[in-house]
Amino acid sequence: MRRLPSWWPTVLFFAAVTSMPLWMHDGYVLQLVFRVIVFAVLGIAWNFVGGYAGQLSLGHVAYFGIGAYAMTLSTERIGWSPWFGVVLGAVLAAVMALLIGGVTFRLRGPYFTLSTIAAAEIIRVLVQNQDELTHGAVGTNAPLLFQAPDLDAKFFYGAMPLLGGAFALASWIHGSRFGYRLRAIRENENTAMAVGVNPAVDKLLALLPSAMVTALAGSIYASYFSFVGPDTVLTLEISVQAALIAMLGGAATVWGPILGSIVLTLTAEIFKTYFEHTHLVVYGLLLIVVVIFLPGGVISLFQRRWKFRREAGPIGAQQ
Amino acid sequence: MQWLQAFLNGLLVGGVYALIASGMALIFGVMRLVNFAHGAFLMLGTYLSFYGWTLLGLNPYLAFPLWGAVLFAVAVGTYWLLVRRVMGANDFLQILLTEGISLALIGLAQLVFGADYRQINLPIANRITSLGPLHFSVGYILSFAVSLALVIALQQFLSRTEMGRAIRAVAQNRTVAPLMGIRVERVSAITFGLGIACAGVAGALLLPVFWTNPTVGGPYTLKSFVIVVLGGMGSVQGAALGGLLLGVAEQFTAYTWADRYAEVVNFVIFLAVLLFRPQGLFGGK
Repeated sequence: MRRLPSWWPTVLFFAAVTSMPLWMHDGYVLQLVFRVIVFAVLGIAWNFVGGYAGQLSLGHVAYFGIGAYAMTLSTERIGWSPWFGVVLGAVLAAVMALLIGGVTFRLRGPYFTLSTIAAAEIIRVLVQNQDELTHGAVGTNAPLLFQAPDLDAKFFYGAMPLLGGAFALASWIHGSRFGYRLRAIRENENTAMAVGVNPAVDKLLALLPSAMVTALAGSIYASYFSFVGPDTVLTLEISVQAALIAMLGGAATVWGPILGSIVLTLTAEIFKTYFEHTHLVVYGLLLIVVVIFLPGGVISLFQRRWKFRREAGPIGAQQ
Repeated sequence: MQWLQAFLNGLLVGGVYALIASGMALIFGVMRLVNFAHGAFLMLGTYLSFYGWTLLGLNPYLAFPLWGAVLFAVAVGTYWLLVRRVMGANDFLQILLTEGISLALIGLAQLVFGADYRQINLPIANRITSLGPLHFSVGYILSFAVSLALVIALQQFLSRTEMGRAIRAVAQNRTVAPLMGIRVERVSAITFGLGIACAGVAGALLLPVFWTNPTVGGPYTLKSFVIVVLGGMGSVQGAALGGLLLGVAEQFTAYTWADRYAEVVNFVIFLAVLLFRPQGLFGGK
């Protein structure tokens, strides 16, 4: 029997998801899937730095917030179309990535993680206290990127190219020399240097697209919920969520963050219908479970089965 | 005179910081574990203190050893159940695990206690005492005194007792310590318990002069990192000094600049120390 080409699940998946607004008219479901998409994008972007390069960033909310605030404030203050604000957000995020990365990547292990949190917190406190510019702690309305009617469907189609782009970027990194250099850094930074990898440059190169994609996700997320505030788009929780989604699905895999986002968003949603304030318990318990029982993520369950079926996989395919 | 007031206020707050950070430094020094759940355990301490006072009428300034003991037990349980499994794993997994524990505790607190802000009205803590032109809250003085006494007791425990010697031995060399007949697992469990108890007691002592809600601990986790880095990673004495220093730095920022930027100053100090003096301000190396 002829085997189907290896790209068919990808095409099938994207076709099925993209066609959703055509046959699914339930606003609640579309909103849920929109959230799954945005957080999958967040997880994919985090994966460049956290998964492939193995740098545990818990400060990605900085870029998310920059995207959200850049779109909102440029529209409000300069009167541009919010779409210019989206682009501005991505550019600003890249600049911040160079700044933050330039400082934090000099540190390793827990020091790196802590410094990313510190950088994000500095931005949060500054935003919270520059009342005249940012509306301070209360936040403000974010502009709509699309006009009614059919907002749910339009936002959905706005988020899909972002997911497709992030996915394509991840697929490229996954198989490229760049991706292997990042993995080398993750395994052992000193050894990587010994074989001619420049970790300082490569880590920054991984952070740049990661920050820009995160900023784009931040803009569209804020526009969808039409609100920006330090407690919604600049909280540590979003950084943790990005990391959790990638780890839950499978760090340093292309499909992992998408799987992770589906599992996390649905689990949180199911519990939310029974109790108030449960999402933190769910996140916490899932993190604990993943770290202790499933460090390869949900995807490792499937990989194990496939490997069993095909017997011989490529060398080094196992974790 | 105002600067002296700011300085002394800083010392008073810094005493409690010193206790929280000593716990974190102990855990880091002995277990090489960065405990992202430190603030969440502190939050549990505040709630124990809250319900102890409102339901049982136990004054936090007298009942704190009890709350410390409860948190010690909870922490030892957490160690055996979860933390033990990532000892020796890379810090990536350790951070994610402790962050998971932190989120789970905060989430459980929201479920059980609700998300409301809570406060107790302890007459003695609200009193103000004056020394010439300087004014102090009695609550802060008490919290400071108890915290500092506990930090000193912890250091005496580490340097004088047999268990303290074992703990220091594990901190020095995890591989050789078991060859000297030290049960590393047990020492680690006790260390984790002691470190968490420090955070919990600090929470119990903060409640009379502060308030609590399930997310109250977050800033303290970050503050204790800052302090532990200031004091040299893993040094308990360094953490105690670093705590006092951070308290003073915060109050001076609030006094000379603005209250709300105190946090920014914390993080700038943190990044600067990590980048330019990674051995800490008091480290010798």
